[in-house]
Amino acid sequence: MDRKRRAFLLALPASLALLIFFIVPMVYILVKTIATNGFQDFVDFFTDPFYLDILWTTIRVSLISTFVSLLLGYPTAYFMARTKSRMKKVMIIIILFPFLVSAVVRSYGWMVLLGTNGLINQLLLGIGIISEPLKMLNTEFAVIVGMIHLLIPYMVLALLGVLQSIDPNVEYAAYSLGANPLQTFAKVVFPLSTPGIISGCVLVFTMSMTSYVTPKLLGGSKFRMMATMVVQEINVNFDWGAAAAISYILLAVILVIQLLVTLSTANYMKRMGGGKNA
Amino acid sequence: MRDGQVNLLCKIVAIMVMIFLVAPLIIIIVVSFTPTALITFPPQGFSLRWYVNIFAGNTKFISGLINSLQVGLLATILDVFLGVLGALSICRYNFKGKDILLNYFTSPMYVPSIAFAFVLLQVYSQIGGINGMARIFIGHMIIILPYIVRNTVSVLHVFNWTLEDAATSLGANPIQVFFKITIPLAKPGIVSGAILAFLYSFDEVALSSLLTSPRFVTLPIRIMNYMELTFDPTLAAISTLLILASLVIIVLMDKFVGLDMFMKN
Repeated sequence: MDRKRRAFLLALPASLALLIFFIVPMVYILVKTIATNGFQDFVDFFTDPFYLDILWTTIRVSLISTFVSLLLGYPTAYFMARTKSRMKKVMIIIILFPFLVSAVVRSYGWMVLLGTNGLINQLLLGIGIISEPLKMLNTEFAVIVGMIHLLIPYMVLALLGVLQSIDPNVEYAAYSLGANPLQTFAKVVFPLSTPGIISGCVLVFTMSMTSYVTPKLLGGSKFRMMATMVVQEINVNFDWGAAAAISYILLAVILVIQLLVTLSTANYMKRMGGGKNA
Repeated sequence: MRDGQVNLLCKIVAIMVMIFLVAPLIIIIVVSFTPTALITFPPQGFSLRWYVNIFAGNTKFISGLINSLQVGLLATILDVFLGVLGALSICRYNFKGKDILLNYFTSPMYVPSIAFAFVLLQVYSQIGGINGMARIFIGHMIIILPYIVRNTVSVLHVFNWTLEDAATSLGANPIQVFFKITIPLAKPGIVSGAILAFLYSFDEVALSSLLTSPRFVTLPIRIMNYMELTFDPTLAAISTLLILASLVIIVLMDKFVGLDMFMKN
């Protein structure tokens, strides 16, 4: 039993830190919110069109961003997985950049480009395509563009791992048996890459649901998503009950998605006849 | 080859995506040298005045940088200690509930940082008297822990534990085994996890913006506050410096740990 005790002692510091500074506060504030106000704050959220609209905006922006990231990320990852050229290294560096460059900096880049006096408007006015500057910054469009810019790299990394593990010979076999490129993709490559698609989409969707910087900087003060609304409730409306409701509803949505995905991928793996590592 | 067209299409999309990803960053770098307050492209001349403004003006970017470095380094050092020990307990020993323990260690990843920030804010206001740096430090310490645990576990997972037994049978004591065998072999995971964790803390906004106090403001918050008041190319200058620092880090990472360590999602 000495080994068991050592494992316990090694796990103890991190477990205690998480318990004291993370689990206990998360549970305590939830209990306290319900104890002081009942479920009223949560009921208010789901009965007020204002809040429902914010939830719907958050889901809509996240769905669009996830879909476009997949649409653009899939061919990119496929090319990166198959190419043998030196470009691959450069692409990997470009893809890894989001881990390194702050979202504030990246949003700033889009502000410079999309603003009323921004570079895109200057260009379009200069050529004469438009006579008045387009309003792009502080719109949902700007938020989605910034979001996709932030999320594509995560999508590509998730897909790249799976696509690299598909043997190109499987594709050649399909071709030699008479399949055209579309059939090969639909019946061979796509099914084999579903685990990567699922994990990439879940990652990107949850990141976008909880994002704060991008909607704040590119959406302006009138554009509201769940995370920016939490801050607004605290700093502008001083409504801590509403802030609590939004925080825990957002958390619940994320946890439900994670749970559903874990269950359904376990199911999928079973159907594919694969074990844990398949 | 029949799949030539498919590959060409993928190549075109890939190149367009790369341009899309890099373009805003390159534009930031170019406009940071603009001499005018209004940003035009291409810039009408060349000037370093916005770089001077970072240090000379009352931007407080430098004090923000120092604060960010302090919080990031302290949280990372503490978490390397907590995370590596935690990862060892999961990978070194066999016991029921290993998977649950790993999920527990990485659980902060699944909680929206804004929700956690709100919770900490309420707790702080109840306890009272928690000073500027501790407010942010506690939050960062929790949300960056998963990165260190995960990357260390990914290395220890394929670790050959008989090496430890071999060292012991050759007369090494447990402390020597730990520092001369286990740690050096786990190093790529620890280092890559620590770098990711530090960068996460350094760039973190959602948590810091709720928990910040006037006495202790981190660099990203300083930049955002500046942005709301003045939208001049000083922002491009400080952004350029951050982009260049990131480039240096990526080159060093490639050289010392290999970029593969950072591509496991």
